[in-house]
Amino acid sequence: MSDPDAYIALVSSLPSSERLFVAKQPPLSELRLRKRLSALDEDDAKTLHRIEHILSWASYDAQAEIGEVVKRARSLLRNLPQPTLRAIVADRMELRSAIAALRMRRDGMAAPSGQWGFGKWTRHIAANWSDPTFRLDAPLPWLREAGSLLEAGDALGLERHLLEIAFRQLQRHGGLHHFDFEAVVIYVLKWTLFDRWAASDAQAAARRFAQLSDDALQDFPDLMLEGGTG
Amino acid sequence: MTDFVIAMGWVGIFAPMALGTIASAIGCSIAGQASIGAMLETESGYGRFVGISAFPSTFAIYGIVIMFTLNRAVTAENAGGLFGVGVLSGLALMYCGMWQGRACAAAINASKEKPEIFGLSLAPAAIIEGFGVFAFVFALVISAGIA
Repeated sequence: MSDPDAYIALVSSLPSSERLFVAKQPPLSELRLRKRLSALDEDDAKTLHRIEHILSWASYDAQAEIGEVVKRARSLLRNLPQPTLRAIVADRMELRSAIAALRMRRDGMAAPSGQWGFGKWTRHIAANWSDPTFRLDAPLPWLREAGSLLEAGDALGLERHLLEIAFRQLQRHGGLHHFDFEAVVIYVLKWTLFDRWAASDAQAAARRFAQLSDDALQDFPDLMLEGGTG
Repeated sequence: MTDFVIAMGWVGIFAPMALGTIASAIGCSIAGQASIGAMLETESGYGRFVGISAFPSTFAIYGIVIMFTLNRAVTAENAGGLFGVGVLSGLALMYCGMWQGRACAAAINASKEKPEIFGLSLAPAAIIEGFGVFAFVFALVISAGIA
């Protein structure tokens, strides 16, 4: 457990995390966030960096072996003194393992064996490979919808569903942390989710725009761009 | 042994003052840090934040009043009473001040984005103040019975 009053000024200087998801414009840019985070002491800054590094896909090579990912997560968990932060990392890695299993099954792969994922459900998932939710309806109730979205090929819907699950997990873990280091980490992870959320929104808008313009152009088959007529 | 008992009596007289001051220092520091952070994020209402930060300063005043009420010639007969009332009321003030500081910090953090909840967000801090007043008033009442 960290000092409950360690980062009162820092947390108070950040816009509320709920506002992140309702704002049309990001209330806090990455530059400003990083500037505010310079108030963290050296050890806490390193810990935050390691947690972000583990949970960000951008920090992995495209060819990264699953064993390497699991090894890095376990190494981080061994050295994290805060139980809440350990639970956050474990929850997120378990979420990713369950989604990886859904993807493997959709691609027609057989039940995996050995070290194929992270967390307490890996053996259970392999043992219940043919069940739509791997018989994890009770502990992971979001898995059914995630499976349906994946089967339907709705990548954006799945991405948003997973962001929502991750956000709810952070909300749950943040209940007892207001001004301590855990609160800062939870805020930064929420900000990262918001950033991805905003990016997925932009992608959706671009797709919608392309679809609308295609529809509009279909109504004028003779229309030639560059000012010409057919 | 008598000297030790008398020393404890003096500890009891000064304890509310010392612990009340500690309470105010910690409480004001906690709430003050929140108000400084909130000033970075808001464009106005700075005075309100600073005002809330000063809420926990009342505990030092309560401590001083209890100290003056308990202040008398310490004897072997009254030392125990002075020690009990002084130390326990001081501890009560100290916890009230520290936690009121946290309640004020939460109020500042919440009201920086929703100024309309400013008054309501102070309710927990006001309730904690009420508990501090209980400790203060009943310390005064009970001290009347000490010879």
